[in-house]
Parts: sequence; C-alpha cells; structure tokens
Amino acid sequence: MENKPSRPNSYLALAIISTVLCCLPTGIVSIIYATKVNSHYEDGNYAEAERASKNAKTWGIVSIVGGVLVWVLSVILFGAAFLAAVESGY
Amino acid sequence: MGIKLNIYLKIIGVIVVLGVLSLYFFLDPTKIAIFPRCPFYSLTGIYCPGCGSQRAAHQFLHGHFIEGFKHNFLIGLLALVLGYQLFVFVMNTFYNKQVYNLLHSSKVTFGILIIIILFWILRNINAFPFTILAP
Repeated sequence: MENKPSRPNSYLALAIISTVLCCLPTGIVSIIYATKVNSHYEDGNYAEAERASKNAKTWGIVSIVGGVLVWVLSVILFGAAFLAAVESGY
Repeated sequence: MGIKLNIYLKIIGVIVVLGVLSLYFFLDPTKIAIFPRCPFYSLTGIYCPGCGSQRAAHQFLHGHFIEGFKHNFLIGLLALVLGYQLFVFVMNTFYNKQVYNLLHSSKVTFGILIIIILFWILRNINAFPFTILAP
C-alpha cells in the first residue's frame, strides 16, 4: 500500500465517445486499453498501467481525428454537390 | 497572450459545435447524403457499434429521444457514462466528498467492453429480436 503511484487516466470516456460517435472500430482498441489500465493498476503493475494509458489515449485520439477528417471531407465534397443541385433547381 | 488565445479557441470551438449541431438539426441524414456513411460499413457491409449515431443525433435534436435510441442504443450507454463521470467530478470537487469512481474498477470497464462487443455482434444478426438493434 505504501507509495502507490496515482492511477493513470484510462481515457474510458474518450474511448466510448470515439466508438459511438465515429464509425471507427479503433475506438474498441482504445476501450481494450482502458480496461487494461484498470486491471494492471489493480494488480500493482503500475508501469504496465501507465503504458496502457498512453495507448488508450493514442488510439482514442486516432479514432477521433480519423472520424473528424472523414466527416469534414464528406461534408465539403457532398455539401458542394448538394448546393450545386439546389442552385440548378432540384 | 496565452489566456487570450485560449478564449479565442474556446469561442471558435463553441461556434464549430453549434454549426455542426445545426447541420444535424436541419438536414436529415436519411434524406440528404452529405454526411459520411460509416467507412467500416461501406467496406465490409457489417454494422459497427457506432452506426446510426448520426441519424440518432438528428432525432435527438428534434426531441425524438425514443426514435433516436432506436438508431443506436449505445448512445444511452454513452450518456450514462458521461453523466456518471460528471456526477463523480461535481461531488468530489465542489462538495469535497470522496465518491469512489466505479469506472476505475476493471470489472466495470470490462463489462462496458463486453456490452459494446455483444451489441456489435448482435446488431448484425438478421433475425427478429436482433433487428431492433440494427441502425
């Protein structure tokens, strides 16, 4: 119990947001790492928990950034086509 | 300088979020195809756990919560987790309580992982009780 390092962030909320709001299964990878953060921490493997935390963060950010990129590209491309169609009277 | 930049970034962030929300309010993703289709579904033909969340967002913004949940039940889980995080945060910072965060337990995180993977598998089964889960 003595000098227990503080619990690394599991980024669980970020992982769930990226899984549910982007359609990228990389969010699942992030949740798996979030689970590992907690189980390693409970087992006392603090270095492992810290590493899993970094991975959870990386995968969470990768899926959010990927999702946002796909979204922006799609809205610009199809949005332009949609506006053109509206202009020409459809 | 740093503080000023921070405020600008926040203002831009709020404008972007409001803009995106109004897009989802005014445009129905089932009718106007400017929103991306799920890349995973387009590539594999298999629904992913997030499929339907854009249609759900449209319904939610119009106050049709049940319709929204029908597109993607996981939004309920997301709301639950975020609400709980907020509750623990408010309790521990503003009321000086020591609420134990259940999300720090590996059993709870593992449970959430299992729920999401089960949801993923079941919503792809093309038979009656499971088709409710499909987007």
